[in-house]
Amino acid sequence: MNAPLVLNSIDTDLCQQQIDALIEARPEVRGVLVSTIDGFEVAARMRGKSSPAKLAAMTSSLLALGEAVSDEGEVGRCLDIVIDASAGRVLLMDIPHATRKLLLTVLSDNASTLGQVLWAVRNCRQEIGRLLVG
Amino acid sequence: MSPKEYKLIFAGSMGAGKTTAIAAISEIAPVRTDVENTDRANHQKATTTAAMDYGEVTLPGGDKLRLYGTPGQTRFDFMWKILGNGALGVIILVDNSRPDPLADLRGYLQAFHEIAQDSRAVIGIGRGESHPSPTLDAFHALTREIGICAPILSVDVRRREDVLLLLDILFNQMEAAELIDRPGSGARPQ
Repeated sequence: MNAPLVLNSIDTDLCQQQIDALIEARPEVRGVLVSTIDGFEVAARMRGKSSPAKLAAMTSSLLALGEAVSDEGEVGRCLDIVIDASAGRVLLMDIPHATRKLLLTVLSDNASTLGQVLWAVRNCRQEIGRLLVG
Repeated sequence: MSPKEYKLIFAGSMGAGKTTAIAAISEIAPVRTDVENTDRANHQKATTTAAMDYGEVTLPGGDKLRLYGTPGQTRFDFMWKILGNGALGVIILVDNSRPDPLADLRGYLQAFHEIAQDSRAVIGIGRGESHPSPTLDAFHALTREIGICAPILSVDVRRREDVLLLLDILFNQMEAAELIDRPGSGARPQ
């Protein structure tokens, strides 16, 4: 099934530019994906063989679970999820925007500290949210 | 004997009523993971389940049913495997207003084949009053063709008694299957 057209071509191109900029600026970043809140790929670039379509669905599930856990734990809204794996990290977060509910997924290796990657990724996230026409 | 816990899965296509069914019988506020549905071309629902639903029912003898609802769309099929792990039985809900309800059922029976082939499945057909085709006979023919023995009934999962009937029939089905396999035993929680 094809993904629904939730963004116009200008916004999709904008997402792709921000993704490309992050990957080129941070060698430890192995893949970046922007997807819809219900799990459809919008734009992506992967250095490895990871499937953006599968990651889009998994990101949607994980962040929805994060929201449910945060709600049950009475700790406010779920902002990020960080998966610390043996050979790298997966960062999952939503993209702040008034009308578009998009998610950002970033795959990285362990070459940098979590703080360095988070700082770079959060800038990318804010830029996409700020620039989207919507 | 201390109370037991049983894990049951509600599966089926988007909009078939899995979230509604769990909410209809759960004695706790159900855990939901609804998000905005952006795929309005394929379904008009405003929201969709992205990960799972969860509810609980305590049976008169103290045993507890843990109810897990799966996301309907195939892109979330990794959640079907995760949630199906260790499940005692599966309730498959079919929306008869969809373009090909028989194909929908075939897909979910394949996805939960290990449970279904063990006679631990029940099938509920929804929206049959407004969409009478395919008939229950057609669904029975499909399960016979696949080699699955599962009760099939028409339901409205907004009605608590219909959902409880599905659970009751599921346990009857499992009990009957177990008695055939091992005379003298039974699957029904007390």
